Amino acid sequence: MKPRPYVLLAELTYGCPLHCPYCSNPVSAAPGVELDTEEWNRVFRQAAQLGILHVGLSGGEPLLRRDLSELIAAAHDAGLYTNLITSGLGLDLPRARQLRAAGLDSIQLSFQADEEALADEIADTRAHRHKLRAAAAITEAGLPLSLNVVLHRTNMDRLAGVIALAEKLGAHRLELANVQFYGWALTNRKLLLPTRAQTQEALTIAQLAQDRLKGRMEIVYVLPDYFEDRPKPCMQGWGMQYLTVSPTGHVLPCPNATSIPDLKFENARLQSLQQIWNESESFNRFRGEAWMPLPCRECPERTVDFGGCRCQAALLTGDSSATDPVCGLSPHHFLLQSIVGEENELRESQSLIARQNPS
Amino acid sequence: MNSSDLSRRPVLASHVRLKIDPITGDPILLFPEGMLMLNSTAHEVVRRCDGRTSIDEIAEQLAEEFDAAKEALLLDLLQNIEELSQRNLLRFAE
Repeated sequence: MKPRPYVLLAELTYGCPLHCPYCSNPVSAAPGVELDTEEWNRVFRQAAQLGILHVGLSGGEPLLRRDLSELIAAAHDAGLYTNLITSGLGLDLPRARQLRAAGLDSIQLSFQADEEALADEIADTRAHRHKLRAAAAITEAGLPLSLNVVLHRTNMDRLAGVIALAEKLGAHRLELANVQFYGWALTNRKLLLPTRAQTQEALTIAQLAQDRLKGRMEIVYVLPDYFEDRPKPCMQGWGMQYLTVSPTGHVLPCPNATSIPDLKFENARLQSLQQIWNESESFNRFRGEAWMPLPCRECPERTVDFGGCRCQAALLTGDSSATDPVCGLSPHHFLLQSIVGEENELRESQSLIARQNPS
Repeated sequence: MNSSDLSRRPVLASHVRLKIDPITGDPILLFPEGMLMLNSTAHEVVRRCDGRTSIDEIAEQLAEEFDAAKEALLLDLLQNIEELSQRNLLRFAE
């Protein structure tokens, strides 16, 4: 019997008005036509039939979809909890009200930093002031606001200010996501990777705020896995709980799965989600434990971390079925030790390379 | 505020939805990036958290529905409410 998926990440478009250097979207996405309203509607209905309860409407920037409120209504009518993951650019009060009326349950708004000059430098466009207006519109429309901030070398020292901003805006949740190195972030790794001292100070600040704000604002702190000794339980296991549908309809076990070169992905235009989830080679490749190499295969922690991240294994070792090199037991762990080693601690910050958007 | 104040009126936070899982039939709370399965006791509590009914009134309703002494229910009820509040899933109406 196959596991039951709970969460669909619907990447509605790769288009985006921002140019964040840590974007996890593919650096070169395969060209293709975006799914239309009716095709997404079918995806949402099939997702609900499979047992999925949550949909994250993401991108790129989902507000670029003119049919966004129709898509939200379709997901809502299918019985899914709908969460919009957005930069906020293009979100004013009338549109926020329209999205709420369509059945939107929650909005996750991204910020790049707590103050305008740095935030706009990171986004490589004037975005911060629009985001502040979007946050006000979200609250005014009666939608619950959560914030997401990607932490990296350039903004990590501003963490206390970031937390204060989330409090001021009335967010019920703040996700502090240490940058993960996929897509554009991998291209820019040398510029984004914090020092160990930075990560330790940030963790202390985050933990103090978690205690102080308990019951008022939930603070989720995503660990900087390059500095850890055990891998993250990526996706709670491959093909176990999550599936992603790309803007052009490719159905992926994780949003970064296209970085694994020898995997072929099915398309929601041609097959049902159920068929792809249950039968496709891509979803079955790393499901369970049969694929695991040593040391994972005999490791008692294999049921905790599932061998870590397949994309990270492929990107860093060239072998998608290797143990995630974050793990101290991986024969490739030395790769990470050299990346986060002394040289990283001592070098100066450099300017970032902006993401190029698809035309 | 005293944490055992029975006049407080609990209400699900605005980002939380109470649903019945269509696959299992179990009551479940959904919120951004998460979910919480409810046992039948917690479900009976949560579905009464409408921002109008006080903890005291909820206890009375439960006592009547389950033919039990209100005092015997209160400790469990307060524990349930406190836990959901700590997890940021429940608020108290002004």
